[in-house]
Amino acid sequence: MAFDHNRRPRAVVIGAGVNGLAAAATLAARGVDVTVVERGRGPGGMMTGAGQGELGHFVWNLHPAALAELGLGAADLGLGAEVATVLLAADGRHVVIEGEAISFADGTPHPDAAAYRALRARLARFAAVLAPLATAAPPRLGSGMLNRAGLSDLAQLARTGLGLRRLPRDARREFLRVLLSNAADLVRDELPDGPLAASLVFDAILGGRAAPGAPGTVLALLWRHAGGGRRRPAGGMAALARRIAGAAEARGVTIRYDATAAGIEVEGDRVRGLRLGSGEVIAAEMVLSSLGAMPTLRLAGPAHFDAEACRRIRGLRCEGTTARLDLRLAEMPRIEGLDGRLAGARLLLAPSVAAIEAACRPVKYGAIPASPVAEVLIEPGDGGAEGPAHLSALVQHVPYAPECGWTEAAREALAAAVIGALGTHMPGLPGLVTESRLATPRDIETMTGAPGGHWHHAELAADQMLTLRPVNGMARYASSLPGLWFCGAGAHPGGDITGLPGRNAALAAAADLGQGVTR
Amino acid sequence: MNRIARETVSPRPRVPSREGLADTPFEPRLRALSTAEDWMDWSGCLSPRALGAVETEYFAIRNQATLFDVSPMHKYRVTGPDAERVVNRLVTRDVARLAPGRVAYVLWCDEDGMVIDDGTLFRLGPQDFRLCCQERQFAWLHDIAWGFDVAIADETGDVAGLALQGPTSHAVLEAAGLALPDLRPFGIAEPEPGLVISRTGFSGDLGYELWLRPEGALALWDRLWVAGADLGLRAIGFAALDIARIEAGFIMAGAEFQPIHRALRPSRGRTPFELGLGHLVDPGKPHFNGRRALLREAARTPRRQLVMLDIEGTKDASGALVYHRGRREAGHATSAVWAPTAKRNIAFAELDARAARSAGLRAEIYTLKEGRWERTMASATVIDRGVFRPPRARATPPGRF
Ligand SMILES: Cc1cc2nc3c(=O)[nH]c(=O)nc-3n(C[C@H](O)[C@H](O)[C@H](O)COP(=O)(O)OP(=O)(O)OC[C@H]3O[C@@H](n4cnc5c(N)ncnc54)[C@H](O)[C@@H]3O)c2cc1C
Repeated sequence: MAFDHNRRPRAVVIGAGVNGLAAAATLAARGVDVTVVERGRGPGGMMTGAGQGELGHFVWNLHPAALAELGLGAADLGLGAEVATVLLAADGRHVVIEGEAISFADGTPHPDAAAYRALRARLARFAAVLAPLATAAPPRLGSGMLNRAGLSDLAQLARTGLGLRRLPRDARREFLRVLLSNAADLVRDELPDGPLAASLVFDAILGGRAAPGAPGTVLALLWRHAGGGRRRPAGGMAALARRIAGAAEARGVTIRYDATAAGIEVEGDRVRGLRLGSGEVIAAEMVLSSLGAMPTLRLAGPAHFDAEACRRIRGLRCEGTTARLDLRLAEMPRIEGLDGRLAGARLLLAPSVAAIEAACRPVKYGAIPASPVAEVLIEPGDGGAEGPAHLSALVQHVPYAPECGWTEAAREALAAAVIGALGTHMPGLPGLVTESRLATPRDIETMTGAPGGHWHHAELAADQMLTLRPVNGMARYASSLPGLWFCGAGAHPGGDITGLPGRNAALAAAADLGQGVTR
Repeated sequence: MNRIARETVSPRPRVPSREGLADTPFEPRLRALSTAEDWMDWSGCLSPRALGAVETEYFAIRNQATLFDVSPMHKYRVTGPDAERVVNRLVTRDVARLAPGRVAYVLWCDEDGMVIDDGTLFRLGPQDFRLCCQERQFAWLHDIAWGFDVAIADETGDVAGLALQGPTSHAVLEAAGLALPDLRPFGIAEPEPGLVISRTGFSGDLGYELWLRPEGALALWDRLWVAGADLGLRAIGFAALDIARIEAGFIMAGAEFQPIHRALRPSRGRTPFELGLGHLVDPGKPHFNGRRALLREAARTPRRQLVMLDIEGTKDASGALVYHRGRREAGHATSAVWAPTAKRNIAFAELDARAARSAGLRAEIYTLKEGRWERTMASATVIDRGVFRPPRARATPPGRF
């Protein structure tokens, strides 16, 4: 089938999360007529619980390549300055990290500051080596030079290789060693266990099910150190999502909210359009889905996929482990020595690597952690609906389906565990809580459709990364069904608010259209 | 005739004892008839390689009628509203065109278009299929059926199977009160409740396969045995049938191809095109497993080609290397036999695609002669598959012999 060149090719993107929007803008910028269908009532996907409020906290790697497709500069995003990180310590000697400055809350210098800075610098160097991998489809390893596509992949690989070669010889060896090790060992080799070591390990495990000692955690850590520091969007994630959606619309993208994708229309082994829950069919040459691999497969129907592909997708590990707890507070809580620096800072409730390891354990047995670790944000209210102050916590590792079920008691137990742990540092906290709201991984799945409510749509582990993401044989954004593409966090390079899977997938789809090839 | 009684007919190693092997429903009769005590392992069942002399058994297939116990064959039942869709998703042929009461020879492939196995597919009803094959497929069928509304049952132990093959096979049925004069090749009949007879088989000649619950197996055997007494009916083992199937040009899993799920080296997989079975792939039907890979394969010249060779002389070419234009190695024989009825020395051989289309092939045959290996270079020619395809195999009603 050759496309009618008098008509703009049409694409439908499923989902108005950061990746759906990045994909849509990327295609629109290349002359494609793009409609985004979003089940929720607003943009943002997992940033906002699909328009229902706030789920995410910070942005650290909204990638310039994706922003460029959206026609946005970093300045247009309303991201504030890098936020300070406060590491809550069991002994009350909290640590404050502000850019390069690391000290105790009382201003005394931290003895491990130099070692910490050296390790971060090393991580940043290694992250730079990996960076080219994130902005392209994973290399087609082993395809050889049989075709042009294979050649350009090799060139890409060579560039990565070049990056590696630019490292001094010792660093090169070290890079390869580190890549295969795990976050806990890597950090503990350089730093004594404590809040500072734990803060790096926390970056490696946030959003995943893996414990700090699991292989693949170093890669997650490096991805997250490829961008800058953490920034908080003005007006929260909902405002950021609106800005991104507005940018996509300015590119000519049509976004339809309250529109649920109900089926992918296939004819002659090619995608022909998308059917909505209302029965309406939007005709299109291609559909890009930012949903997880399984919901996408179900939209098309297993009949269009080989049994091996179905089996791999069935086998994807995607039980989420991040819950979000929201507390409305009667006033700003206080922490000794941190007055005035608490508001808007990133508080880490992760006193040691050992504590993180312990907090990761119960999930294996379907239990709710008694001493969870968490990233906490406290913001003064605007005097409106959110009250005088608002605390939110991203809590790890929370089971998707606890043995006991998500009963009211189970929910209260988790909230109490978080409030109790924070209460040791903010003694008045329990009394300040006027309202508490918990979103478990299961609730997040219900809100956003993300499989298992998983931060990355599928665990970012060694066997579900790079050429194995979302699954072996589909790692270059093309599902095996011609015209159907994966463009969400479940695809390479994974989740976080980066826009990269969306942008990369759209480039692959556009290249396919450009060739007028239906395959 | 000693080359008929060769050792390498079976893809499975010979087992010296019956230890650990299950008995089939026909085992008491087979044991009573066995004089050779030459048994083999067929899917974990005790199965005769030969009951008496292989040559006698072979000639019974071609001149009289024979009984061969096919109970060890894996049998799967697929039923339910999506049964046709699931089976069509499995195999490369279009099952929508297979009417109830008919059988089809089918292949199925993995996602790369490599053959997993071949077998016979029985359409017992609009939503009711039985698949008979060599390899275990239970887990694979579940993979194929995931997301569809079907039930899959492994019927291997619940259905006894008996192949009645040879020119007088219909006469035997008739004498047993089971005449099926109107049953066409690949047809299915149920002359008595609980007894299914299909006009199918592996011999290339007139023949039937009888399927029933194991409880009725011995009574059926005895009934046919009495009926066949004057018609030369003989019980046979695998070795004789193996000669017949090569003569008839039928490939066998483990010999002509390595089922891809059993192959440890992915490069050992073969596409239907490479096996010369491209006509069994229907690219026009909706998506089926491996379809996209098979379309790509169909568009390019196969790497290799399975062919039938006619080899000069009478020496058994089993395992022979085949050379093209002098010394260039072009492939090897996968199964070979002196075809006694066609009186030709034949072999299935897998050759480089280019060699398969050209003349000047030679087979390097080694024969052990009283403690010494003798090497022969015999010229070989690619011929049409199946040197024994008598019209009587297809005549309806079957002729009387
Ligand atoms: C609690 C939590 C906190 C997080 N915090 C951060 C953070 O602070 N910083 C960060 O970088 N990352 C954070 N993440 C991860 C980040 O939010 C995600 O990785 C990222 O947003 C994924 O974006 P996406 O576009 O790929 O998918 P999604 O955001 O999941 O978007 C998919 C969209 O598809 C829609 N949809 C689903 N089904 C249908 C359908 N049938 N029809 C139409 N639309 C449909 C959904 O409503 C949703 O809007 C967090 C994740 C969680 C769970």
